[in-house]
Amino acid sequence: MSDVVTLTLRTAPDGPLDLDGAVTPDRLALLGEREIAALAMWDGARAARLGDFFTVEGERAGRVRVVGATAALDGLGAGMAGGELLVDGDAGQRAGAGMTGGALRVTGNVGDDAGAAMSGGSLHVDGRAGDRLGAATPGATRGMTGGEIVVRGSAGDEAGARARRGLIVVGGDVGARGARAMIAGSLVVLGRAGASTGVGSKRGSVIAVGGADVPATYRYACTFEPPHVRLTMTYLRRRYALSVDDGAVAGRYRRYCGDAGTLGKGEILTLVRG
Amino acid sequence: MSAADVEIRGVRIEDTFAEAFGMRGVRIVITAKTLRWAREAASKLTGFATSVIACKCEAAVERELTPDETPDARPGVSVLLFTMDADSLGKRLVERVGQTVLTCPTTSCFDGLPEAVTRVPSARALRVFGDRFQISKVLGGERYWRIPVMEGEFLVQESFGVQKGVGGGNFLILAEDADRALDAAESAVDAIAGMSGVILPFPGGVVRSGSKVGARAYAGMIASTNDAYCPTIRPITRSSLPGGVNAVLELVLDGLDYGAVARAMRAGIDAACRPGVVAISAGNYGGRLGPHHFHLHRILSGDDTPVPRPAAPATGQPVTSDATDGGR
Repeated sequence: MSDVVTLTLRTAPDGPLDLDGAVTPDRLALLGEREIAALAMWDGARAARLGDFFTVEGERAGRVRVVGATAALDGLGAGMAGGELLVDGDAGQRAGAGMTGGALRVTGNVGDDAGAAMSGGSLHVDGRAGDRLGAATPGATRGMTGGEIVVRGSAGDEAGARARRGLIVVGGDVGARGARAMIAGSLVVLGRAGASTGVGSKRGSVIAVGGADVPATYRYACTFEPPHVRLTMTYLRRRYALSVDDGAVAGRYRRYCGDAGTLGKGEILTLVRG
Repeated sequence: MSAADVEIRGVRIEDTFAEAFGMRGVRIVITAKTLRWAREAASKLTGFATSVIACKCEAAVERELTPDETPDARPGVSVLLFTMDADSLGKRLVERVGQTVLTCPTTSCFDGLPEAVTRVPSARALRVFGDRFQISKVLGGERYWRIPVMEGEFLVQESFGVQKGVGGGNFLILAEDADRALDAAESAVDAIAGMSGVILPFPGGVVRSGSKVGARAYAGMIASTNDAYCPTIRPITRSSLPGGVNAVLELVLDGLDYGAVARAMRAGIDAACRPGVVAISAGNYGGRLGPHHFHLHRILSGDDTPVPRPAAPATGQPVTSDATDGGR
């Protein structure tokens, strides 16, 4: 038993490696070094073992660290239920997808579908995220149903699409159709939210500190100081040491209700500067 | 020095103990745009909450909070509220938060015992005030309710942690006259104010009408005046007052645990030992009713560990009626 299991990618792979479900701290916490090295994974369409690509150090630990040319690794932490997983660098697609618990930290960027359909735990990304952050997997009716995603950089299109619960925070801008068809939950954008934000959403909140392209199907309600925004921003400062300016914490927000084409109980809040 | 000879600045500390009961407590954190409005809400929430007998709960302000100490980084006030069981605690929360915090401008309301395992989901009942316009948000695993109100929104945490507490810690200030007793009581209250985990639920923290269990003359009375400590009837009752005592005031303390009450009693007793105070005593029922005993000499020696519960009384043994408990 050791404090941490370290997986070191020996060489940069030619193409993406699919680790979906293989590298989760809760699973590795039960295994020895040889058992970890024998775990199944995919090298493109070819079945492989972790030991074919990684050097495994440590065993039976709830903390896992992945190092090397990690940008080509898809499915890191996908389905994880507990423990801590640190990716020292970039992660490929589906990082933390379907996770139900534990903490996944990526010090670089993540690709598309990060945190897709996750239901618990936290995904913390120091860099940028691709499309469909915390959104639904293809064909699914629900995106994220719980947990927290914090991306310090920007995110691509459709962040939080079809989300049912949970919190998604993006430190930079978000692309088009953020919170599309959201059922509930919160998308906090410290930058600007792109075109068609919240289109088709039933409930849920988009907090756009840097403003948003509010769809015509959202109706202006009022300008006020939302207590839950203050609570959320304070929580983000304290829990994730996120840099949130005082204006975003204590400021007044314009509230828009929508989408009028659906249930209409969603909201977009945009900060009033000055 | 023998156990019977403990004195502080010439004030005799009687070799007796305060007898207290198990209660259930919550810590309610009220925040507002300014401390003024947090105080207003806390003042109303803790109104008419001196004794569980008539008020159904006991509550008071624990201390004021800086923005660094509150969940939403606004100034706040923490309130402790106690009842005899968790079920009634939930009901009192709904009533009091609903009528006094929900109604108060700019306030939000949070749980102050996040580590407590037992929880009462009181805001589930409060949320329906929103008439289905309410919105829930989950943050850090905790659910909050946003209830639309005319001012904007009221934000309240769904569940409050419940902790086993201690109700009815007490001590008596036996003084030469009422002015000296009041001076000493005020000093004691000031010394206890702001201590963590303890409140003084009576007016200004002080009780003048200590009571005994039942009554001599009236059947059915739950409590009646503690005649043994009433100076005006000293010659016509079985008085416990030493010579030279002409007024008695009591401090009653409720706390989240034994240690909190013991520490506060120590600080309060020390502060109360002023000129004109003859002795410090405490109210008990002979040790047969309440499981928590605060022996004055033990507390003043710095020992905050709970005293083991005494054996249960023999069947049919009468309960003493010359105890004081602040009217509960």
